[in-house]
Amino acid sequence: MKLLYRGAEADVFKGDWCGHPSVYKVRNPLPYRLPELDRLIRSQRTVHEAQIIHLCKVAGVSAPHLFHLSPSEALIVMEYLEGRRLKVELLETGLTKGRVEALGERFGASVAKLHEAGIMHGDLTTSNVIVDGDSLSLIDFGLAIRSHRLEDQAVDLRLIKETLTGAHNSVSKRFMQSLLAGYSSVLGQSRTEAATKKLAEIERRGRYARVE
Amino acid sequence: MRTQLKVLGIESTAHTFSASLVSEKEGVLTNAKDVYVPPEGSGIHPAEAAEHHLEVAVRVVREALTRQTLRGSAIDEVDAIAYAMGPGLGPCLRVGAVTARTLALATGKPLVPVNHAVGHIELGCLLTGAKTPLVLLISGGHTMVVAHSTGVWRVLGETLDLTLGQLLDQIGRFAGFASPCGRRIEEAAAKSSRYLKLPYTVKGNDVSFSGVLTAAKKLMDGGASFEDVCFSLQETAFAITTEVTERALAFTGARELLVVGGVAANRRLSEMLTTMADRHGASVKVVPLQFSGDCGAQIAWTGLLAFKAGESLRSVSESVVRQSWRLDTVPTPWRD
Repeated sequence: MKLLYRGAEADVFKGDWCGHPSVYKVRNPLPYRLPELDRLIRSQRTVHEAQIIHLCKVAGVSAPHLFHLSPSEALIVMEYLEGRRLKVELLETGLTKGRVEALGERFGASVAKLHEAGIMHGDLTTSNVIVDGDSLSLIDFGLAIRSHRLEDQAVDLRLIKETLTGAHNSVSKRFMQSLLAGYSSVLGQSRTEAATKKLAEIERRGRYARVE
Repeated sequence: MRTQLKVLGIESTAHTFSASLVSEKEGVLTNAKDVYVPPEGSGIHPAEAAEHHLEVAVRVVREALTRQTLRGSAIDEVDAIAYAMGPGLGPCLRVGAVTARTLALATGKPLVPVNHAVGHIELGCLLTGAKTPLVLLISGGHTMVVAHSTGVWRVLGETLDLTLGQLLDQIGRFAGFASPCGRRIEEAAAKSSRYLKLPYTVKGNDVSFSGVLTAAKKLMDGGASFEDVCFSLQETAFAITTEVTERALAFTGARELLVVGGVAANRRLSEMLTTMADRHGASVKVVPLQFSGDCGAQIAWTGLLAFKAGESLRSVSESVVRQSWRLDTVPTPWRD
């Protein structure tokens, strides 16, 4: 098997599952973490992730198909999605305004569908979105939570914003605007406004933020 | 004949009043400090800390200026006076600002305002030789994962409530010690290996410690030993911190991890971070113990960088303090 990605909490390999190109996601023991704490967190997160992927599909958001789950090994085997990470896509030279807007809107609509279904992804960085032409899928639900709280929705949006200004500053404004347009197309204007208002409130709560 | 820039820096954001002299080529020349220690079981009372700073200010500044054998009066050799404009406790900040202002008015030297958090990072880079590191800033005032990008130090992840320093201090104070309690917690934790379950909260790249604190206090109220609680607290909070740092390291692909701030002194945390960074082939650079806590050198050195890049206040009347001043809003022209 080929190592695709050494993430913070899991190693992701490309392999084969009954003839299908697939991804093996293994939460390896983290040597810095106390073993008993480590085992608990790894198996909990593995089961949880599988459950969330299922719910995500129910909500109509594209995510990889699940092939196999083993909590004791902290292993999930799932479909290998063709495409590139949104992070790579946004760093592309010659990226057009139209492309940024289209990606933003599609991403926003997916996030809104998740939020509508009470799923907070919890790790919406541009590394966790796979783009294949016009289709967009979400991956890595390891930190997702179930919630219907506005606060949690805003925290989800805040991470997107944080990642954008941190790693894609040149396109961050345009992308975020389109993302909110896409979000609003699913959840409606008033709920989108409520979420962005909450987002601003969370930012003001940040340590040493200037209250404006 | 002036051969190189020299800057005097004054730090007074919290419990430490410190003054330092740095030069462009030799780095830190002097670093004098006096730390306010609150009574056992309590934290920093801002007004009392400020009172302390007022009492020691003249002596500390004099010490920073005279320890070095310089021709004539040391202050004449200084090109600029840097002070910590914020963020921090208002009354404490004002003592540093007044000291800096007075020196500037008396000598006609320019004033350079410095952000305390940026100071921790830039001094850390100087002392460890880190160039463009991912930075973990952990102290009583900050718990942030930071990387430099497009003109500022950007925050990739941070605490949503308490800082790591506050978490340690508050549990220490709960047990009757005075802040800062980091070392005492570390010593107590070293005597135990019994893990008591505490909430483990990571939200994306951000962390939350308020639940850990509440649960740890409950354990103590329920009769758990201080050693076991400290051990469990450290294991949980440091694993959380290491995990979000690892996420940022994986995301940015940084080759260096710089650890700065008072909590950088904790050996268990350094050990966890080193184990983690090894997996990613990144090197860990921890600021030397002597400079991990608040110090004038962080202000003087960053002031020197800023002054060299053309920054200084146009008049003394601009030398305000800013209790709230996020580091990701501070331009860093010296890095462009």
